[in-house]
Amino acid sequence: MILLDIKNMTIELETPEGLIRAVDRINLTIREGEIRGLVGESGSGKSLIAKAIVGVLNKRWHITADRFSWAGQDLLRLSYEEQRKIIGRDIAMIYQEPSRSMDPTAPILEQLIESIPDSELESSWWGRPFERRKKAIALLHKVGIRDHQAIFNSYPYQLPEGVCQKIMIAMAIAKKPKLLIADEPTTALESTTQAQLFRLLASFNQLKGMSILLISHELETVARNTQTLSVLYCGQLVEAGETATILKSPLHPYTDALIKSVPEFQPELISKQPLYALHGSIPTLQHLPIGCRLGPRCPNARKECVKTPVLERLQNHYFSCHFPLQGKKL
Amino acid sequence: MTTPLLEIRQLYKSYQKAQGIFGRKTIQALSDISFSLYPGQTLAIVGETGSGKSTLAKLLVGIEKPDSGEILLEGQAVTISDYKKYNHVIRYIFQDPARSLNPHQKVGQMLDDVLRYSTQLNEEQRQDKIHQTLQQLGLMEEHADYYPHMFSGGQLQRVALARALIMDPKLLILDEALTALDPSLRAQIVNLLLELQKSTGLSYLLITNHLRLVRHISDHMLVLHQGKALDYGQTNEVFSNPQHDYSRKLIKSAQS
Ligand SMILES: Nc1ncnc2c1ncn2[C@@H]1O[C@H](COP(=O)(O)OP(=O)(O)OP(=O)(O)O)[C@@H](O)[C@H]1O
Ligand code: SF4
Ligand SMILES: [Mg+2]
Repeated sequence: MILLDIKNMTIELETPEGLIRAVDRINLTIREGEIRGLVGESGSGKSLIAKAIVGVLNKRWHITADRFSWAGQDLLRLSYEEQRKIIGRDIAMIYQEPSRSMDPTAPILEQLIESIPDSELESSWWGRPFERRKKAIALLHKVGIRDHQAIFNSYPYQLPEGVCQKIMIAMAIAKKPKLLIADEPTTALESTTQAQLFRLLASFNQLKGMSILLISHELETVARNTQTLSVLYCGQLVEAGETATILKSPLHPYTDALIKSVPEFQPELISKQPLYALHGSIPTLQHLPIGCRLGPRCPNARKECVKTPVLERLQNHYFSCHFPLQGKKL
Repeated sequence: MTTPLLEIRQLYKSYQKAQGIFGRKTIQALSDISFSLYPGQTLAIVGETGSGKSTLAKLLVGIEKPDSGEILLEGQAVTISDYKKYNHVIRYIFQDPARSLNPHQKVGQMLDDVLRYSTQLNEEQRQDKIHQTLQQLGLMEEHADYYPHMFSGGQLQRVALARALIMDPKLLILDEALTALDPSLRAQIVNLLLELQKSTGLSYLLITNHLRLVRHISDHMLVLHQGKALDYGQTNEVFSNPQHDYSRKLIKSAQS
């Protein structure tokens, strides 16, 4: 079943110079039990999309979409409060800024307890404090923290980053979400801790059927841990499909460059030889090129590219480029 | 055989940490670390936080003194009082270029300060050197008149490199300098570093907690764990045949 279904979502920022389109008509679907990766460079709009889904962007952002539905229910027809209720119940998010997920001024136990919704509790009200505590301990065990005593009274800053990250996951899964959005959950971590956390996420996916949207700017990590992939460049969705297919035969020049720039994906590349790199740099929101936003940096660009390419489909593989890499134009 | 550019012999360093009211605990931050880095080569020091990486970096730039052991630069032992003398042979690049640049100073002025402080060059020579360095890093002469906020992330990293390279160092220490970069930017910077190494024989000491890129750009690597050197050798040999459990785990985690 398709859980999340978004079509042509646009996110614009109000500025004194007018509206700036930070995210340009992107599509995103997530099925039950799917782990989807969302990759793109810094500033490409990954966090904006995540925040728009959970509805935490402030009034300066204008969000529009042709479709925004959750488990078959059209959310656009509901009031904002009703939307929030459904989303708050079924979707959990781990924010890129840990301070948004965790309160630096409260001890861990308190925060964990608060993250457990009433609906998860069975006891009558006098039994609840005890039940909550028991649940908090169980949550920590689930994320692999055995010695809960040692951390219950600690504050986030007293704990290593890897442990904090695990606690954030524990808080996120407390309400048994159907979808977990994890925004750069491991970027700051060391590789062994990173690997541990991905195993943890994968186990929740397998045991509980929880879907995951994994956001990162590291193609390597996303590629290893997802089944499907969406690639963003400058607020535009450039390619989406099965992770393995995209890695093997990318259709969009940006995805192609991204893959080629990672030495691990280039077994043929001799050590210390130059990596494949696009020239130039990512434009700022204030100076976005017209049409395809990769245009000025794209090795294949032609004059047609000043028109924004529409998303096209080749079986389960989507791309938006006038001159895709493999095969001919459809 | 050539003399190593940098040679570390049996370096030890410990810290005293207060424990309780009277207690003191000795933390052995580094024990028995030895390695050599040759001109034109790259050595990667890989380890997690607490492995001793930062201590090692502090000893190398002379902020702290080892308990025992030797640091040799081109065969000469260096002591802490020489720090200023070798400060332009070894230069440092940190993780976040934006934070290490003064936002109120034009880039040209900043580079000029570096030269005025540590060389005898006259004004004209300094200007030439600045332009030449900017050009070497793919920036333009006009960029000397820019303030840091006018640069993109990638250009800023180049500016930080310019500041390090304008002294013609022989060794550049890259402390997590590549970790947080975006892929297309990282590829550009890596290419720049590889090219500079080829054309000028610069050596790199890459300090990182990620194996990413280590295999591609380093000739040798040393795995640091709890202050001790585990595997040390040619990068491809360490990758294909790690001797210690911890190194195996590290290499596996980077591939899983
Ligand atoms: N509060 C804000 N005010 C103005 N611009 C913003 C704000 N938040 C985000 N932006 C801009 O919107 C664009 C998308 O930002 P977003 O945070 O979604 O990027 P991202 O892909 O998550 O990047 P990163 O990898 O750095 O987390 C960027 O150009 C960013 O500068
Ligand atoms: S539409 Fe044109 S500029 Fe954009 S990626 Fe395709 S070829 Fe390049
Ligand atoms: Mg983000």
